[in-house]
Amino acid sequence: MAEGKRKREPAVAGAQVEEEKKSRDGKDKKRRMLPSLIKNKLKRMEVHAKVKREKRVEKKKKAKARVDAHKRALELGEEPPPVRIPRTIENTREPDETVCKPDDEELFVGNDADEFSQILKQEHAPKILITTCRFNSSRGPAFIQELLSVIPNAHYHKRGTYELKKIIEYANKKEFTSIIVVHTNQVENQVNALLIINLPDGPTAHFKLSKLVLRKDIKNHGNPNPATSPKLVLNNFTTRLGHRVGRLIQSLFPQDPYFRGRRVVTFHNQRDFIFFRHHRYVFESKETKVDTKDTAAKNDKGKNLTQTKMIARLQECGPRFTLKLISLQHGTFDSKGGEFEWVHKPEMDTSRRRFFL
Amino acid sequence: MPRTTTVECPGCPPIRALTTDVLGLVKVVEVSGKIGTPKVVETWGPPDASRSVVTASFADRKTNPLLAVARKNGLVEFLNPLNGNALATVTVKDCVSSSNSTEDELVAGLHLLGTKGTELSSKSSTFLMCTEKGKACLKSIMLGDASPDSSLADAPSTWNVCGAGNVLCSSVDGAENFALFGGKGVELNVWDLEKCSKIWTAKSPPCNSLGIFSPTWFTASTFLSKDDHRKIAAGTNNRQVRLYDISAQRRPVISINFRESPIKVVTEDLDGYTVYVGTGCGDLASFDMRTGKLLGCFVGKCSGSIRSIARHPKLPIIASCGLDSYLRFWDTKTRQLLSAVFLKQHLTSVLLDSHFSSEEIEPADQSSDLQAIDHSEVENDDELLLLTRKSKTSRKKVQNKIKAEKIKRESQYDEMSDEDDEPTTFDADDDDEMPATKRKKTLGGKEKNVRLKQKKSKKRIG
Repeated sequence: MAEGKRKREPAVAGAQVEEEKKSRDGKDKKRRMLPSLIKNKLKRMEVHAKVKREKRVEKKKKAKARVDAHKRALELGEEPPPVRIPRTIENTREPDETVCKPDDEELFVGNDADEFSQILKQEHAPKILITTCRFNSSRGPAFIQELLSVIPNAHYHKRGTYELKKIIEYANKKEFTSIIVVHTNQVENQVNALLIINLPDGPTAHFKLSKLVLRKDIKNHGNPNPATSPKLVLNNFTTRLGHRVGRLIQSLFPQDPYFRGRRVVTFHNQRDFIFFRHHRYVFESKETKVDTKDTAAKNDKGKNLTQTKMIARLQECGPRFTLKLISLQHGTFDSKGGEFEWVHKPEMDTSRRRFFL
Repeated sequence: MPRTTTVECPGCPPIRALTTDVLGLVKVVEVSGKIGTPKVVETWGPPDASRSVVTASFADRKTNPLLAVARKNGLVEFLNPLNGNALATVTVKDCVSSSNSTEDELVAGLHLLGTKGTELSSKSSTFLMCTEKGKACLKSIMLGDASPDSSLADAPSTWNVCGAGNVLCSSVDGAENFALFGGKGVELNVWDLEKCSKIWTAKSPPCNSLGIFSPTWFTASTFLSKDDHRKIAAGTNNRQVRLYDISAQRRPVISINFRESPIKVVTEDLDGYTVYVGTGCGDLASFDMRTGKLLGCFVGKCSGSIRSIARHPKLPIIASCGLDSYLRFWDTKTRQLLSAVFLKQHLTSVLLDSHFSSEEIEPADQSSDLQAIDHSEVENDDELLLLTRKSKTSRKKVQNKIKAEKIKRESQYDEMSDEDDEPTTFDADDDDEMPATKRKKTLGGKEKNVRLKQKKSKKRIG
């Protein structure tokens, strides 16, 4: 009926279609003619381009109107209209009851009792063993060299053909605190997964690694000084699971309150992706001119003032990559007999605004 | 505008569940009202990781319900499930009296006996406990004081279940005459509790077609029906669910492969042939053991390994808890998630109280049924204190409650019949504030407190 009509109309004349659309605009959204329903490709492209142009023009007009209103309000001395907050996915994230609350006693007790507390309380110094999957690749060793320079007290051993369980036993004997296994894709020779196993029988986190950029590929990169331990920034690990993963990552680095170096390593969690960045920073003082719109200064002195501010300049060094948690196993790595604390299942993905870390 | 699909969880009927976790806390989750969302009502115990609960058992009785909790530091505590008071404490080493007492022995299985009979006369309760090294012990203890040296009512009988290997799971059948043990390197064996003798051992299936022999590793086991001790369902580490029949053969009758992670829990249903299986990946499914067919999976965003499943003896509801810190209630017929409660810690076991009825004003009787597969919590704390179980809120309103305290043991969640006029005798609870004057009828001593069935609350003048 109406469907048939609509379908026939585009084939007939495009002009009719546009008129229909305009007339129905704002009324019945469901029945609005979408350019994608036009079967004729040339016509469809035309209509779509026109729609896009109109939308862009509209948007510019609105933005200009907003800016004008703001200026006018300032001139008149009134309150400017409130700045509207754009809707983002982080803003509209589904409320998660597993978010850590600051006054949760159980959380603190749990933290004291978990597997990382010994390292985080500085009773043990972390000692990391880095190895690869069984079949080595060309990109693997380069990435591993960079990892060795980022994480202090890390040792690299070749994998050979040992089973991971045997490697865990060996590492336990030699008192390592964690193992990092770098996994490469055999076909494309690219690094694609990271397995962090906390020892002695700590949780195992399996991450998917992507967007790897090595140090030599970064413009103006800096060379870190591997003797100093880096400062660690962990952003946005809010839920219980995120907190646990955050502590797992924290246990890879030494905790030294008397901090002297100038390196910082950042793990920033956003939408369940963890972004890794490594920078060198330096604090400098900078002189800036005072804003001439500051009426107080203007009235008092009548000339430009300079203000000194302390800013930090960053220089990126080291690799850059993105991690995504695939699963968190309760014990050490056990592919067959392991039980999972958290494993990603497709039925969890039903909402685009639900995140777990 | 946002593209989300959310399925609203329908609420739960009135239920009371007790969960234990790795910090040693026992949390009570209740649903008030006819259909509602469960909430944590009480938390018992200081959070302490050394007291983490390894297994638990619940004696689901109207009178003298008891909760027994085995902790990691070698203590077995008996708690009153109505108010959390510790009634007795036993150390594992005393019970087992192992010669090499230098090592800590973890309790692998704990079962409270006496669910069927009435043990109102004495203040003691019997329980069966088995450690990981394979020492099983059948013992009775006196209740009433919480000191760690509760006197033993009679000499315990101890025996060795297995020579080598670790016992990981155990179960007691409905009539409490037989007990079942299995574990890593330990084949399933069935023991007669009266004679303390082994009556049957399983035999592992032959090598499969590839010639691969998988070592014995049973992680969960249960008797299939309450009346019949001959059929056993067991789950292995190798993702298999097996059915054994004692009267038929020693090899498994049916063996089903389920997904890819080890089976962590197996619980039987009331009809004697359905089992609920939970795995290390968080998959919960039900199987028909007569045919070996998978009836269906319970889908509900469960991302952590399932540690315990409990089946409510009256309502078609199961509760599951696990390492993802959620306690979930499911409808058994539609396999739908009824509700989920976040409990903040890794949960180790859940027990349902079947004698819980929620009244509008007062507390509901909550009986937990121990359907925890491997663990039974022995709770014999309150033999004398037959508490009418009440929800926390209603406890304050004792006065009104007494009237309405015709606690219906089996409250139908879709329909609450009117209260009868039968007088209900309440279990006297020493700790409870219920004034004696308000009791409608109290039979003699406290021992005779019987939990009354409460039907819909009708205020009665007591």
